[in-house]
Amino acid sequence: MSAPAIDRTRVLHIAKLSALSLHENEVDQLASDLNAIVKYVDELAEVDMSDVPPTTQVQFEASLWREDEVVVGLTRDQALSSAPQVEHEGFAVPVFVEGAS
Amino acid sequence: MIEAFHITDLASKVQSGALSATEVARDVIARIDRHNGRLNALLHADPVRILAQAKAIDDKRARGEVLGTLAGVPVAIKDAICTKGESTTSGSKILSGYEPPYDATVISRLRAADALLTGKANMDEFAMGSSTENSAYGATKNPWDNTRTPGGSSGGSAVAVASRIALAALGSDTGGSIRQPASLTGTVGVKPTYGRVSRYGLIAFASSLDQIGPFATDIRGSARLLEVIAGHDAHDATSLNVPIGGYESACDAAIKGLRIGIPEEYFADGLSDDVGRSVRATLARLEREGCVLRPIKLPHTRFAVATYYVIATAEASSNLARFDGVRYGLRKAAQSLGEMYGATRDAGFGREVKRRILLGTFVLSAGYYEAYYLRAQKMRTLIRRDFDAAFKDVDVIASPTAPTTAFKLGEKANDPLSMYLSDIYTLPASLAGVPALSVPCAIGQDGLPIGLQIIAPALQESRLFTIASAVESACAPAFPAEVQ
Repeated sequence: MSAPAIDRTRVLHIAKLSALSLHENEVDQLASDLNAIVKYVDELAEVDMSDVPPTTQVQFEASLWREDEVVVGLTRDQALSSAPQVEHEGFAVPVFVEGAS
Repeated sequence: MIEAFHITDLASKVQSGALSATEVARDVIARIDRHNGRLNALLHADPVRILAQAKAIDDKRARGEVLGTLAGVPVAIKDAICTKGESTTSGSKILSGYEPPYDATVISRLRAADALLTGKANMDEFAMGSSTENSAYGATKNPWDNTRTPGGSSGGSAVAVASRIALAALGSDTGGSIRQPASLTGTVGVKPTYGRVSRYGLIAFASSLDQIGPFATDIRGSARLLEVIAGHDAHDATSLNVPIGGYESACDAAIKGLRIGIPEEYFADGLSDDVGRSVRATLARLEREGCVLRPIKLPHTRFAVATYYVIATAEASSNLARFDGVRYGLRKAAQSLGEMYGATRDAGFGREVKRRILLGTFVLSAGYYEAYYLRAQKMRTLIRRDFDAAFKDVDVIASPTAPTTAFKLGEKANDPLSMYLSDIYTLPASLAGVPALSVPCAIGQDGLPIGLQIIAPALQESRLFTIASAVESACAPAFPAEVQ
């Protein structure tokens, strides 16, 4: 496996998937940083792991379900207390449906 | 005043009434005034709040109630841990001004034990870093030498303890973020078994690795802290429902006959001569005191950095999706929702966080998932098996905590890969989920502290405290003259 070149186009594509707007002047540096890291990470390909199961968690016992009990959660005011913008007792966001006002 | 005490002594004095929590609080505030401007260990400390907590503790005693095991003990809290109504930023501009509406479980437990919470400690943004230079609120300086970093990401917590602004602190360790700064500042730092301590209220970085743990001025104090914060919590589905405790009594247990594994891979290229020599001298002393030293192999150690940076960034890219400018923190105005997300995250995240979100998104993206993420998960299995095999023959494993003493501010700031490599000895235990701690074992030729790392099998924290107490009694942790 050879390292895929992470070029400007790929950085911009990943940035879009990550909901990150990048500044034009940081794209080349990020591409260079990411290439160096990915090249280093490629050493994982040196080992044949075809028969090795992946570790998804290191838990030593099965997680237990908690009791399904009703507990008091945050009040509306508490939940909204740190919101940048509140309207009609809810989180306000820019319009995201075409034709809505 | 407080610098003269260890945690358990101070708690006894406050419990007995020989010292009031208010006297402690006044001293803490004076020490913050004297040292924090230079060190930048705490991002947020409110004297009114500190004194109010102290008064509540003193009032409780005046009513005849028995005070908790951390009575009046000043504890600094890493800024990634939610404290109700008190600024919690995780070192990021994107959470500037955020005041959580609830306490993390560890905070509730500290309060119940009558601890005195002194404020929020600086950290690398979202715990991503090894020097605390990635904080959006300025670097923290090492009290042993102000031109050097305290390590990271829990650098503020480590420095709060090293400078005796507090006697204890909470940090979080994802790949070494408690142990490495403990080593670089001459403090004790413990990463418990994954699942030992509830993560409820810890702002997530990499959920399969994150674990909260204590910093302390001494081993016994760290054991007491862990007894308070450990234990099952219904709010965290990964918290283990198994018995806890016995950590403090483990400090007095005999070490004779304990088998210590010495992994050759941790004494290889990249380890400074001074650190290697000091760690070997400490191990030789343990051998003279009756421990059995055994050379062992952890053959996949050299893949730990690569494995970690794939898994941790993948999880981070997902966890940090919640910071979108809608429910809390920063928002940048924009015409559309998508533009608002992008602009907010661009303005709110620093360079290292962006780099890791991009890397994590890349390794999870179509066409690359199997080559990177799945491969890293498989390597994680091999690293776990290394430990399983080693612990068949030894009770604990000992190694340097970090390859060098504290490095200079700015030294690795522009070279992410070299920064990542400073965590090389702490990453494997994180990936395996096993407990580990760092205990000061020597002062190097450069006058800076050196830490010994001890690693135990899952749930065997007691062994860490037993061995570390023996190390400590031969080399009592000092603290820098400048802040005495």
